[in-house]
Amino acid sequence: MTFFALFCIPFIVGATLMFLSVVLKYFSWLRQLPTSDMILIAKGIFTPRTLSAVWEIVCESLLHRRIFRRNVVLGYMHMSLAFGWFLLIVVGWLETLSYLGTEWVPLQGHVFFKYFVPLNGIEGHKPLFDNVMDALLLFVLSGVTLAWLKRVRSRLMGMRRTTKHIFFDRIALSALWFVFPLRLLAESITCAIYGGGGFLTGNIGTLLSQHIDADVLMALYEPMWWMYSSALGIFFVAMPFSRYMHIFTEIPLIFLRHYRLRPAAKTKSYDNFEIEACSRCGICIDPCQLQSQLGINDVQSVYFLRDRRYNMLQQKIANNCLMCGRCEAVCPVGINLNTLRQNSRTTMRNIPNEGRYNYLRGIDLSQGEGRVGYFAGCMTLLTPNTMSAMQRIFEAAGEKVWWADKEGSVCCGRPLKLSGESDSAQKMIDYNKSLFEKHNISTLVTSCPICLRVFREDYDLQGIEVLHHSEYILRLLQQGRLKVGYSAEQRYTYHDPCELGRGSGIYDQPRAVIEAVGILLEPKHNRRDSLCCGSSVANTAINDAQQLTIARSVADELEATGAETIVTACPLCKKAIARGTKHSVSDLSEIVAKNLK
Amino acid sequence: MINFGFSINKPRVIDIDNNNLRKSNEIILEMPELQACIGCGSCTASCTAGNLTDFNFRKVHTLVRRGEYQGAYMELNKCMLCGKCRLVCPRGINTRGIVMLIKRKLGDF
Repeated sequence: MTFFALFCIPFIVGATLMFLSVVLKYFSWLRQLPTSDMILIAKGIFTPRTLSAVWEIVCESLLHRRIFRRNVVLGYMHMSLAFGWFLLIVVGWLETLSYLGTEWVPLQGHVFFKYFVPLNGIEGHKPLFDNVMDALLLFVLSGVTLAWLKRVRSRLMGMRRTTKHIFFDRIALSALWFVFPLRLLAESITCAIYGGGGFLTGNIGTLLSQHIDADVLMALYEPMWWMYSSALGIFFVAMPFSRYMHIFTEIPLIFLRHYRLRPAAKTKSYDNFEIEACSRCGICIDPCQLQSQLGINDVQSVYFLRDRRYNMLQQKIANNCLMCGRCEAVCPVGINLNTLRQNSRTTMRNIPNEGRYNYLRGIDLSQGEGRVGYFAGCMTLLTPNTMSAMQRIFEAAGEKVWWADKEGSVCCGRPLKLSGESDSAQKMIDYNKSLFEKHNISTLVTSCPICLRVFREDYDLQGIEVLHHSEYILRLLQQGRLKVGYSAEQRYTYHDPCELGRGSGIYDQPRAVIEAVGILLEPKHNRRDSLCCGSSVANTAINDAQQLTIARSVADELEATGAETIVTACPLCKKAIARGTKHSVSDLSEIVAKNLK
Repeated sequence: MINFGFSINKPRVIDIDNNNLRKSNEIILEMPELQACIGCGSCTASCTAGNLTDFNFRKVHTLVRRGEYQGAYMELNKCMLCGKCRLVCPRGINTRGIVMLIKRKLGDF
């Protein structure tokens, strides 16, 4: 049997080029992985984690569960395109199998089977397959229609804004949009000439044959298949270099993620999997406060990843991000956007300098003795109320405390790391770590979530438990070492600091502490969805007025709860929000200290 | 000579006419807000690094604006970018951005 016609050439060329580029890309990325990552893969590959990865691929790459949770229509659109196309391929393969048995059929024979059926005089019409294939085609076409609609009115799918695509993406996008309508036309014309077909192609074919001359149909027949094949070919050639690379890349990414590979402070080959798994769906645009409050439209994660992928990332784009993590929380692919942003900055700025911070040697400004250490952090030193409140709490609980930085301190290193100087930050990490070890503490309490995060993630403090003061105070309350008075007249609202909530997963402890002293009212955006105060140390690009605009919008939302006091658990958030409101803003420790019994 | 325990600065002149202000102008063009500085010294007073060394941010950026680049990069290397100066600045200057900008522009000096 022949399974070749001239019109197949664009498809064959496209598919071959796509296959080669994808394989080459994956091979080179995998080969460049650091040895530690290779070991992780080797350890994970023959464990149940591989199976759970397969399950996640079904749920996410095909069914798009996470997008469904966000918006049903948006989820359906993504699912119909991905799962629908996947089923078209699988059922199409089953169809040729049922007609021809185990005979080998080249790839184009499967894809253009409807064309080759009359050519090869294959007998025995199987209406079931025709109808199933037509239903699947309709399923995909409904997704294409929604995708068109989304370009016109994205709000229908719960998106205020969609991605502005570059020219190359638009070509790929247009080719993809044309693939399925052209397939419908080509198959319908074939049915009009040769009969057969399911409820969709068959009926359209009958309609066409009734209204259009047979000569005209014959003249359209080959060109239609040519166009369908060309649309496929263009899409396949564009795919590895456009946003559609995500279709395949999400699969190895999910496997690697299950083997515990993660991006790190410095760029490495694994980052490529995350970067190219971005589909530029634009879900990250709406949560970005730089967009919603300041109208900055070119720095969001989708554009950052795109620029980084095509090696056209500018420092001003990489730097202009609060790293609040609101985009990371909604990303349907689960890309570690903050880490990638941070290691991009490191690549652009990190200048190792051995002599830098030599002046830290031998400095020790700490006071007191105790197994519990308290590290206020730079920002807390600027909010002395927090510090004196902590002192009263320690006294009330009868805790002996070693004060690490009452008389000034060395920064924890996180601001420097976030701005892209990881190697220099390491010097501060080493300094503070040796200071903590020297004073032989068993618990380290800090009231700054920025410090907390770096202590937990980068310090590797053996035998020292690191606690945020919200966790510590709650523990004292639960142990009965601290007694506070409850008043139902005091109403508080709580602002989740980014580094504490999304960054460290501490949502409940501060809430429990507030509920011990009064009534807690939740703002509209809270927990994983909470807003950023705008003064994040990660952003060195926006100016004072812009910070204030964000702070005001956050304060407005907190005031709208009707609470008298705004509570937060981060000195930086406290200072930022206080600028945007006339209400009183307190640190968690202050309201506890005020209500001590 | 008698040692009084202190010394007097050598007399010197900052000649803005002769200093090369190209880098200085570039810096001000990129972050004009630096010109809003009133020289109050809050940044230096609150500075984490300034608490431990003689690092003086106000002095460094004032000299840089006048075209005195010598040693500015090395001085700014003492900065920990903790951001306290930005919070206390009464003019709302993005001091962390300024530190990074000056370092980027004067990397060679």
